[in-house]
Amino acid sequence: MAGAVQKARWALLDAVEMLARIVWPAPLRGALGWAFLAPALILVGILVIGLGQMLETSLHELNLATYRLGDAYTLANYATALERPVTWRVLARTLGGAGIVTLVTLLLAFPYAYLLVRTGSAWARKFLLVALFLPFFIGQVVRAYGWLIILGREGLLNSALKAVGLPAQDFLFAYPTVLFGLVQYMLPFAVLLIIPALSAIGEEVELASESLGARWPSTFRHVVLPMAAPGLIGASVVVFTLTLTDFAMPEILGGGTQDFFASAIYDSFFQISNAGLGAALSILLTLIGSVIVAAVFMMAGTGTLGFRGGRR
Amino acid sequence: MKLSGSKGVFLWGVTGFCVLMLSLPTVIVVGASFTSGDIIAFPPQGFSLRWYSELWQLASFKAAFWRSLYVSLICTVIAIPVGTLAAIALSRYRLRARTALQVILLLPFTIPLVVSGLSMMMMFGEVRILGQLWPVGLALCVINLPFMIWSVAASVNAMDPELENAAASCGAPPVQAFFTVTLPAVTPGVITGALLMFILAFNEFLVSLFLTDSRTVTLPVEIYNSIRSVITPDLAAVSVVYIVIALVAVALLDWLVGLDIFLKSK
Repeated sequence: MAGAVQKARWALLDAVEMLARIVWPAPLRGALGWAFLAPALILVGILVIGLGQMLETSLHELNLATYRLGDAYTLANYATALERPVTWRVLARTLGGAGIVTLVTLLLAFPYAYLLVRTGSAWARKFLLVALFLPFFIGQVVRAYGWLIILGREGLLNSALKAVGLPAQDFLFAYPTVLFGLVQYMLPFAVLLIIPALSAIGEEVELASESLGARWPSTFRHVVLPMAAPGLIGASVVVFTLTLTDFAMPEILGGGTQDFFASAIYDSFFQISNAGLGAALSILLTLIGSVIVAAVFMMAGTGTLGFRGGRR
Repeated sequence: MKLSGSKGVFLWGVTGFCVLMLSLPTVIVVGASFTSGDIIAFPPQGFSLRWYSELWQLASFKAAFWRSLYVSLICTVIAIPVGTLAAIALSRYRLRARTALQVILLLPFTIPLVVSGLSMMMMFGEVRILGQLWPVGLALCVINLPFMIWSVAASVNAMDPELENAAASCGAPPVQAFFTVTLPAVTPGVITGALLMFILAFNEFLVSLFLTDSRTVTLPVEIYNSIRSVITPDLAAVSVVYIVIALVAVALLDWLVGLDIFLKSK
């Protein structure tokens, strides 16, 4: 019985092998990599075509008489976008926020990742990993909802304040709250990107530094930090770009008073129904993000972001 | 490594703060879902399961839940072969323009989600597939594909390339070598990636917001729409559904591949 199954398996495998030779003859062997890549390139192609359409849309101005986009090509939308003071205000808020969130997140994520990699206790390691993955797997909307319960007018924090006799505060709909929510959202991303770089550093390197008399803060600064640079680059690029383009946290925790750039795009499309202007803002946001990422990559390499990991 | 003294205090101090910050919303949501009162208050008034039973009667949330499940499955099913093959190709085959290819495959990460979502909304509208559910799954697959390629690529890089050569020199033809050597070696990466894709698709809100309408709304969008009106404890009960699913995913990941896989250097 088992022999028959085995024989059938071999026969099947041989048939598949033969089929493979017919479908993909040996001379094409060199192109096999491309065949493997083709589906992924097609999927990403959908995005590229969509982006092309976005670019096209951004070049047509809204005709206020018919409320449709005109046929003529024009840069009017970009001019409008750049002329409106609100664009610059929102851009400054978004860029500043992304910078602050990136810095704070890295400051928190680095010790977390370090402890996770270096702790000798298997129990502590598992605990820290679960504490990291659980929120990572709970979406942004649910997490923001949790913060609403905690920080709301009648929320947990205000109840606690009242209990000790302090006046209630309005935590929601404020810039620091939005940034706080974003830091909480980005923390798992940052830790997961720093880990590979940290675990590539041999323990003996640190021990050597310490046995040569360096106290741990200087070992941290002069040995661990430079060697972990690829992880820090990867993490900062991801956190920065995700924050730069985030929509949910500013909307939910900011309540529409702390618009980020994504909200401005959303409003152009769905509130004032000017797809041309919205498309121009979209292209601008994509450009700003790409230029910053490209600059970092050119100066510092792709860090842990490459598909081949941190080694180069 | 010694993590005691001022170093240990510093590390555990920062990390403890992070753990608190990471888990606080989850803990609070779970607590709030068991209140017997009509509003969310702290401490919760009494203990009851009423919001769970009311939730189960809310047709809109139930329907949205099944839609989310469907969409996430589509996303995962597409991502598994596409991402696995791409990762193997990137790490194993000598391709010209490798850097350019990496940049292209990272595009879903570098194009802002809001732009990707709106672009696909416009494009799907053009080819008249907007308003159906499967394009949502496809779109979620596109924007999260780098996660899949990443996971598998990590496994491919961890594999000794000589294994494939050994199989070939023992006489295994290419297809056999692929199925008996390459695929089993990358399976942990495929499992990790597939779980990630499912969870990310299940949670993805912004792109779903653009690609769904009132008839095809998925769970995160439904929650978002409800948050914007009144915050009632039934939403906490819905959120607990998410927390349970996240727990299951973490447990699965730990059981199938081990969470420690993320601790290895690439």
